[in-house]
Amino acid sequence: MRKRIGGGALALVLMATAGSVEAGSWDERVFTHHVDFDAVAAAGSAALPGLIARGRELFQAKFTTADGAGRPKATQAIIPTKRKFGVNPAFSRLSGPDSDSCSGCHNQPVLGGSGDTVSNAFVSEGFESPEFDSTDPSFSSERHTTALMGAGLVELLAREMTADLHAERDAAVAQARASGKDVEADLVTKGVRFGSLKAHADGIVDLDAVDGVDADLIVRPFSRKGVFTSLRQFTINALNAHHGMEASERFGVRWTGSHDFGESGVPDAVRPGDVSALVAFQATLPPPTVKQNLPEDWRIAAAEGEKHFDELGCASCHRATLPLKSLIFTDPAPYDTAGTLRAGEVRKGIVIDLSKFPFAAQLKRNAKGEWLIPLYSDLKRHFVVDAEVADLGNELQAQRFVERDVFLTPRLWGVGSTAPYGHRGDFRMLNEIIAAHGGDARFARDAYLGLTKDERDTVIAFLRSLVIEAP
Amino acid sequence: MLRWSLGALALLGLAATAAADPVALNSDVPVMLEEAAAAGINQTYDGGWEHFVGGGGAAFDCDGSGFPSVFLAGGKNPAKLYVNKSKRGGPLKFVEKPIAIDPKLLTHVIGAYPFDIDGDGRMDLFVLRVGENLLLKGGPNCTFTLANKEWNFGGDEGWTTSFAAGWEKGQKFPTLAIGHYVDRFAPGSPYGTCEENSLYRPQPGDAPDYSVRTPLTPGYCALSMLFTDWNRSGAPSLRVSNDRQYYRGGEEQLWRIEPGKPPHLYTRAEGWRHVTIFGMGIAAGDLDGSGFPDYALTSMGDTKIQKLDRDESERGEFPVYRDIAGQMNATAHIPYAGGDKRPSTGWHSEFADFNNDGLLDLFIAKGNVAQMPDFAAFDPNNLLLQQWNGKFAEAGDKAGIAEKAPSRGALIDDFNLDGNLDLLVMHRTAPASLFRNLGASDGHGGVIPTGNWIEIRLAEPAPNRDAVGAHIAVKIGVRTLMRTISVGGGDASGHMGWVHFGLGTAERAEIRVQWPDGEWSYPYRAFANQFVVVDRTKPQAEYWYPGR
Repeated sequence: MRKRIGGGALALVLMATAGSVEAGSWDERVFTHHVDFDAVAAAGSAALPGLIARGRELFQAKFTTADGAGRPKATQAIIPTKRKFGVNPAFSRLSGPDSDSCSGCHNQPVLGGSGDTVSNAFVSEGFESPEFDSTDPSFSSERHTTALMGAGLVELLAREMTADLHAERDAAVAQARASGKDVEADLVTKGVRFGSLKAHADGIVDLDAVDGVDADLIVRPFSRKGVFTSLRQFTINALNAHHGMEASERFGVRWTGSHDFGESGVPDAVRPGDVSALVAFQATLPPPTVKQNLPEDWRIAAAEGEKHFDELGCASCHRATLPLKSLIFTDPAPYDTAGTLRAGEVRKGIVIDLSKFPFAAQLKRNAKGEWLIPLYSDLKRHFVVDAEVADLGNELQAQRFVERDVFLTPRLWGVGSTAPYGHRGDFRMLNEIIAAHGGDARFARDAYLGLTKDERDTVIAFLRSLVIEAP
Repeated sequence: MLRWSLGALALLGLAATAAADPVALNSDVPVMLEEAAAAGINQTYDGGWEHFVGGGGAAFDCDGSGFPSVFLAGGKNPAKLYVNKSKRGGPLKFVEKPIAIDPKLLTHVIGAYPFDIDGDGRMDLFVLRVGENLLLKGGPNCTFTLANKEWNFGGDEGWTTSFAAGWEKGQKFPTLAIGHYVDRFAPGSPYGTCEENSLYRPQPGDAPDYSVRTPLTPGYCALSMLFTDWNRSGAPSLRVSNDRQYYRGGEEQLWRIEPGKPPHLYTRAEGWRHVTIFGMGIAAGDLDGSGFPDYALTSMGDTKIQKLDRDESERGEFPVYRDIAGQMNATAHIPYAGGDKRPSTGWHSEFADFNNDGLLDLFIAKGNVAQMPDFAAFDPNNLLLQQWNGKFAEAGDKAGIAEKAPSRGALIDDFNLDGNLDLLVMHRTAPASLFRNLGASDGHGGVIPTGNWIEIRLAEPAPNRDAVGAHIAVKIGVRTLMRTISVGGGDASGHMGWVHFGLGTAERAEIRVQWPDGEWSYPYRAFANQFVVVDRTKPQAEYWYPGR
């Protein structure tokens, strides 16, 4: 997969922009051509290098007004929403559109990574008050840029976890109906417990005891709050919110009656194949690694710190690894809903076998042959605030049904390369973010603070060894 | 190709233009597969003059499975009950189950409406007949017993062509409104001999008691009735759509029904305007999220879409309506296919979201009364899909529901619980059709998934367990989708059970319920593509899953 992309592979995935006027080679547009989803899917693995390369280009591209950037008459909302009045400014640091390219934020230490605090985003639902010029959390929730390294593996984990949870629910419902009695079922997948449910004989399911996952039992592994199901959904949302680039599968004529919902002057600005290119690029980003060739003192301290990390209980949420059965990444994804391309909307999907990528060779496997993904997360949401420890409780808005003091367990792989820390990057040092853990994580945080200074330093040494390195 | 490609879009757009349709069809077109015979449904509505009208049925869960079964009128043929045996997302499957009452009572049935009259948690039926009407009390496993005597109901004999029911404030049991057609035995019949209608208010006691009849006079040959809270006053009025073919000096009617007071017919002085149509079927729906219901009234010729004139009505003080069917491209006055340019004859009408795009569509059953030469012979049913510009575009033929058989009543329900609304259409002199909604057309002969959806069932303590009269508001983004749980309307056809909403691209929805007593619930959060039970006694909305 590392070989240079030949002209033939690129040509395979590109199709001319409908109705475009031939321009010179100095054309400023990003979308002089669109990716042909069907051609890519039909071509199979032969088209993947070109698709990923195009995805990399799009990830770095600065979208222009001629590409449709800006959504002048629409908001950043995930459901197509018109502005009530006025026109969006071309750029608004707070309410968006707030960046020209994906890589404007996702760039540290490498393309697709995290970002400096200066690139924090201010997310709002975009419905009633889409425009705001204040960082006050009454209006938006501030977000530090998350790194996308290993995102394909993360999505695959979430898909398998969702399938497990749905199977457990369905089994409980079937058993309750058959027996005529209530059936309680633990919701456990990959060793992570998501509470329990109670199925009644009439088919009603009591979900009050479900924990850390949405009521539809779909594990949403992306965003700080865990509200995006797939890279595809995340990509479509982000293209609109941050760049004002509207994907036709969400903002197109099927769901809005218009080919140019945001009135940018460019119909169907982002086509399904273009989204797939961005998805393929992100899905194949290599996962973070453990820093090699550490100085001897760091190596010893990190080994000691890893033990403490386990003993303190940090690993109860920051699971060192989660097992993954398959590395076959399919696009479209199985649990997306209307507005994000679904498998039933294409004749054939794009298949990316992540086991063919060099990073797969670095992944360990368990006795069952499952791949052990070292993400240091349980992909579950937790309360991280309590009455005494509330530094992370700085939000005033729930986000897509997720209460304000609840966050997805951050993946710590690469944490040594993604300072500052916390959902909005409030903490410059690892010790500070650990000390800010309250709520469900309070016991581990207290145990950590109960260590000696030297012992705490070893935990930092361990975390600092989890890095994102240039491929 | 992508199953719903840009190319297909262009083709659709061109097709719409070529057909000189003033409104381009940009939305998904549902693919409706007719499979009545394969599904085991075999019922024909037939008979003489008395059965030129009617031809309805009821859809409701009679076995606790969550799947809607159907009771279908037959006119001179016996009415039949078909128990739904479909599996989720699969082909439709029904099995006929005999109804253990005097078989004679199952003939000359016009239609039926399902609701839980006695609050025992099982659906009962009001069966409209030529002759004695029936109250059928629902029992376990889709069994029924005749309850006219038990509930002191005399049957309100006549030619019953419409019905509505609702719970008045303070009443334990529902009030019944019964609409009659022509008094066949009056001198000069049929012209100018419309029979008066009836209102039955429950009498005090622990069981339904419908021994006291209140006349609703004058009657103007009512073919559809609906209790509807047109001004959100909390006290639904009774809308009656009347057939001007037989009345003299009549018009459409709106009765003020206030608890403890005699029914009062709205007058000119109170804002009600003189409208005369061949009123056949009432549909109510909030088309634009205004909070006030709009009404589709079928007729011979133009269908009316009546919208409350917010200015003239003094914001709901007076029932002043204006017809917006023309501006919405929803008059449906002549057949859209087949070439017959004579006026249409509309019967059942109902608002529903067939393609789950979040916009209410309008289904109209069409069919010549009986070889009336001035009206279209081939008169296909309409599927008017609402577009994002607020107008309707015809898609009946593209969806596959443009039938030759003359249609009457209809049941729009999700018979296989896949989130897509299916359609059962009753025909006069021909077997009923049953269309399974497979999803959206991809423009190339294939099918793709429609938009997101949610189906909601309300529950509150007896007596009004199904919360008849409640309003459900589903908020997605900046839009609020409204539905009302009601018994009545259409053409002698009604359904009770899951209330369906198309959600378009929304993955989450916020549900609020205004319960029949006027109290608003707090918001319930729910994810798309789920069956949700909102039980007034429980703090959270609950999810429900079918067992097959």
